[in-house]
Amino acid sequence: MRNVMLFVPLLGVLLFAWLYSAQSLNAIPTAIVDLDHSRGSREFADKLTGAEKLNITAYLSTYQELQEAIAGGRIVVGVVIPKNFEQDVALGRQTRVLMIIDGSNMVYATNASAALLEVTRTVSAEAGIRTLVGSGMQLDQAREAYKPIAFREEAWFNPTMNYAYFLVLALILNIWQQCCTLASAMNVIGETGMKSWLQIKASGVSMTRLFISKSMTHIITFMLMVLPLYFLAFRVLKLPLQCNFGVLMFFTLLFVIAIHSVGTLMSSAVSNAVDASRLGMMIALPSFVLSGYTWPIDAMPPLLQSLVWIFPQTWFFQGLNYLTFKNPGGDFMLPFYAGLIVTAAVCYAISIMLQMWREKLQ
Amino acid sequence: MLRQILKLAYYEILHILKDPILCLMVFIAPLAYASLFGAVYVASVLNDIPLAIVNQDNSELSRDVVAAYRNDPHFKIIAEIESYEELEAGMKTGKVRAGVVIPADFSQKLSQNGQTEILTVYDASNLIWGYNIRKNTLEVVNKFSADHTAAQLAGAGLSKHEIQNVMNTIDCNITVWYNPTFSYVNFLFMGLIIMILHQLGILGVALTITREKERNTWLQYLTAAIPAWKITLGKCLPYLVVNFCNYVLLIWLSSQFVHVKIQGSVFLIILLGLLFDLIITFAGFLISVYTPNSLMVTRYIMLLSVPFFMVSGYTWPHTHIPELLNGMARLLPSTWMMEGFRLVTIKNLTMTEVGPIFLIMGLMAFLFTGLSLTFRKQSLPPNTDDLAVNCGSTYPRE
Repeated sequence: MRNVMLFVPLLGVLLFAWLYSAQSLNAIPTAIVDLDHSRGSREFADKLTGAEKLNITAYLSTYQELQEAIAGGRIVVGVVIPKNFEQDVALGRQTRVLMIIDGSNMVYATNASAALLEVTRTVSAEAGIRTLVGSGMQLDQAREAYKPIAFREEAWFNPTMNYAYFLVLALILNIWQQCCTLASAMNVIGETGMKSWLQIKASGVSMTRLFISKSMTHIITFMLMVLPLYFLAFRVLKLPLQCNFGVLMFFTLLFVIAIHSVGTLMSSAVSNAVDASRLGMMIALPSFVLSGYTWPIDAMPPLLQSLVWIFPQTWFFQGLNYLTFKNPGGDFMLPFYAGLIVTAAVCYAISIMLQMWREKLQ
Repeated sequence: MLRQILKLAYYEILHILKDPILCLMVFIAPLAYASLFGAVYVASVLNDIPLAIVNQDNSELSRDVVAAYRNDPHFKIIAEIESYEELEAGMKTGKVRAGVVIPADFSQKLSQNGQTEILTVYDASNLIWGYNIRKNTLEVVNKFSADHTAAQLAGAGLSKHEIQNVMNTIDCNITVWYNPTFSYVNFLFMGLIIMILHQLGILGVALTITREKERNTWLQYLTAAIPAWKITLGKCLPYLVVNFCNYVLLIWLSSQFVHVKIQGSVFLIILLGLLFDLIITFAGFLISVYTPNSLMVTRYIMLLSVPFFMVSGYTWPHTHIPELLNGMARLLPSTWMMEGFRLVTIKNLTMTEVGPIFLIMGLMAFLFTGLSLTFRKQSLPPNTDDLAVNCGSTYPRE
């Protein structure tokens, strides 16, 4: 267990920081199939080369080659410039450029779609102005007729859309909370399940004192475990932290108590250590998906939107997102603190009742 | 020959049925997790994104902008936010996830050729919101710009036909292959299902030998005149059957109730499932043979779920993962299975195109099966230098 507690979360930091070291999704592999081979088509291709996030990695000769490249996953975006492109544009005839996005990976697809939408707006406007001029309109008039409305966009709280900022800390803490669950699942069964339990009982040690001492040790250990993780996350990896560090630590402490109470409940509900671990992990594993940290709670079905708040992980990961990115203030965070405290109170109370019931049976 | 194997298998089935939590894990948990995740992702697309519009201009043009957003099904306008300060506060508290700010003199400046712009902001603290809002906003902006230009051209005296000609001089037709509705269910759900099958499949069988070790009955197997391969087959047979049934069941449920796009050759899907079944069952058996106790198996297998899923490249693409890490991920069967399943069911590829994946999975299946069938019948010395509860056997309550 000590290996799990000491090394697994730290390995998690290393793994996830390494995994998301590219940080933002730029350089989406893009291929161009230029069937026109004209100056006009090359100019058009140049515009794509300059597009943010697209990286032209291949110039293919045929549509079939493009199909194969996209199917094989080597290319995510394909642009097919048709034959007679330059001639059609020059004569003011309609021409259709096909832009294909591999939608099988949404991280790519949403970014690629946004990149292409930006390009098409510019390209269409330029082509339209050229056509108007070609049909005899003055350039100023054409520009006036095609006068675009400027739209500016700002990504708040994570301006560079950094994927590492979004996910690395949460994934590290997800591994950490799983380790905490495993350890706290030993809280009761780790004593009552051992033969030495009879010695402890015979020694006359107060059960309350024993429980509090063990739980305090667990909670302090979990907090000590999180300190190097936060140091690495905020100091070394420079992940964002908008709130005061003390506030984050207080919030983490409440979560630790809540998660410890859940582990304790598992520990008192079953008859051996393996089952306690299994049950604890059966809750800890899906809790990250259910917490709404990635797929938003608002998009879940109404019943599930209420049910997910049973898990302390939901309060924690939602609160973590607010504290690290937005710092919305103490009043706003109160329900999050309360949610964790109530979870802890309920789980500890049930654990005590279960334990008392077992003692009575014996 | 077959009788011995079947007897061992029968004995293993009794073990599963007698242990309620193991029974739950083998028969119920895959279904329960799949249903839970299915419910999470059932919406599949982010619609009704809470959006605030701060319209400081209140002109006809600015109202057109508001209408453009109102008519888009992806957005739901939160009417009570009317100022920039309220927008800032709403974004901080999550009341809204996006905002549009139309400046006070927008319409006037535009008509006087002055510098003016509409500001769109979105919450990038969660990039699922961020990416989708950005894409959806650009779609609205492009449509609005096109309509606005068409109106201006009409004002300049061009006929409908001429306007169409001018605006579609270069018609950029954006087509999304394989997942045209940008469905998160098609993208993510089957990856999660494969991880559920992988982890629970391995965990179930990984407890089979550790359980015998903890009950001191493993010695009977080791000393009995039964060859190793028969023990392996007998012990693994129930799990091979259940794991494959779970695979088929979860695919059917995902397709029927969560509406995941599952296309492609049924033969290839079954073949993938069979190879995956062999890999996870025999890998679990090997883990069980060489691990001292159930507790250690449970802990480590569970803890590996998230890292295995993340490094597989199923969400964050391979191209943006360091090469060495990609190489390490390629050693894991889950990486190949997830990729193979996506290529067959979403991209509808044939054996010619996905042959290498089948080859690698076939080799993995051969390796794990071979190693399992030929495990050495010897007992490892017990680990005595650690706390008993953590590395020893389980301790049932008195």
